[in-house]
Amino acid sequence: MFSNVLDSRSIGFGDAFGQRFMRPGTYRYNIVLGSTGCMVDERPYVVEVEKGGGSATMEQHSLVVHCDGRSFTPDREAITIREGDLVVWACPDPAAARFEVRGDKEFFGNARLTNECGYSHAFGLPGEYRWVDAHHGKVGGVVRVKDVRTDSCEGLERWRKRLAKGTLVLIADGKAEPAEVDIVTGQTVFFAVVKGDGISITDSSLVGGAPFAGRAKAKRR
Amino acid sequence: MDITAAIDEPAADQLLDTAIGLISLPPASGAGTLGPFFASYNASASLSSGDVDLIAPSTIRIQDFRLDWNLGFSFGFDLSSFLPDFCIPQVCIDIPCVGRVCTPGFCVNWPTVSVPVSFSDFVKVTADFGISITQTGGVWRVEAVVQGTPNIQFGLVTAGLLAAISLAITPILLAVPFIGPLLAIAVNAIIAAIGIAGVTGLLGPILTPFVSGLRIPIYDQPVTFEALAATSAIDPAVFVTIDDVKAIITSTNEDELVLTIDIS
Repeated sequence: MFSNVLDSRSIGFGDAFGQRFMRPGTYRYNIVLGSTGCMVDERPYVVEVEKGGGSATMEQHSLVVHCDGRSFTPDREAITIREGDLVVWACPDPAAARFEVRGDKEFFGNARLTNECGYSHAFGLPGEYRWVDAHHGKVGGVVRVKDVRTDSCEGLERWRKRLAKGTLVLIADGKAEPAEVDIVTGQTVFFAVVKGDGISITDSSLVGGAPFAGRAKAKRR
Repeated sequence: MDITAAIDEPAADQLLDTAIGLISLPPASGAGTLGPFFASYNASASLSSGDVDLIAPSTIRIQDFRLDWNLGFSFGFDLSSFLPDFCIPQVCIDIPCVGRVCTPGFCVNWPTVSVPVSFSDFVKVTADFGISITQTGGVWRVEAVVQGTPNIQFGLVTAGLLAAISLAITPILLAVPFIGPLLAIAVNAIIAAIGIAGVTGLLGPILTPFVSGLRIPIYDQPVTFEALAATSAIDPAVFVTIDDVKAIITSTNEDELVLTIDIS
């Protein structure tokens, strides 16, 4: 069974990692097994960022990550984008291992979310998730996921429509806004890091301590 | 010389109560079918007597004797067989001062799960027993031996077991990501697939062997035994040899189990 773990340090099934590139240049990266990025020096894949044409509109480029055992490849090994554009990596294979995007610049990668990047997670199980920065920052928050119980087609249809509605959490200067959100099973939360100090979005149960002391108590069914 | 012993129905009832209570049924294990699924199981059971009816010339009918049983089994299934493919759609969010960001949609492959179930209950069985007289290993043995294969009526047991299966499935499915609102549909579909026929199809082959071939000991006696102990050198022990044993059920004034022992 696939895991459904809230942890931006490794991207799993139902997650996505996005990075904006604000300066022209060549950015090399690798996709490796989750949390092993610092052990790999190769950067075989490229994001070529061209100078923008003055357009204020951000364009999104989605890359599908394929997993073959412990080896990961994007569907396009090199892409060319314009400055300010966003690249999103996700793997649709539930059997795939969790992965890490490791760039050749400090800001580029999901191990530490720094600037103009984001992590999304679809919450598959109900419960109360306290998330913290596993790198000992003070930012944190709570996601309360409520189950929807229904045995009617109408109820299911309503639920499925709600799944297309995401929730945004903006993180800047060590604060998450909103710090607490309520969603239903299957809904997605997008954590957008405007400016961070190399943080992570990690379920507090994975890191032992919980620096974030929100109202909610850690509780999981 | 012949010795004749006879017991009436109340006495036979008491005798067989005691004898059945002493029977130790060996546990069973194996694999069977639970509707469309395969289940591996282990089972244990114990017996307690019912009402004895002596029927001439050679039938002991025990009505409603009780088989208490404990059953542990597990079965696995692919959830995809019961739930349609399910996809989380693309989610788009407007980020202030940045623009619109969309997460990719993805489809859930439902996993194969294994469900362990424990259940205890009892069934009441009515069976006819014949009388078996054997002499093996220097011992005369009279036993009541069940005739044919008793028909076990499961009745409410099936509903109870289906409820137990439903209870066992629920927490396991609750651990499957994204199943939430589909849980009731999945449980109902699985229970419907098993059905009453599936439950009796599992229970019948497991429980029937506990009672088919059942032998209830009535009388055990060595062929030769000491009837009187020696009291002195000139008064040695007296040994009796059982030459033959006959058992019959008579029905004159009342029904009786009569044991005739020919000794020398």
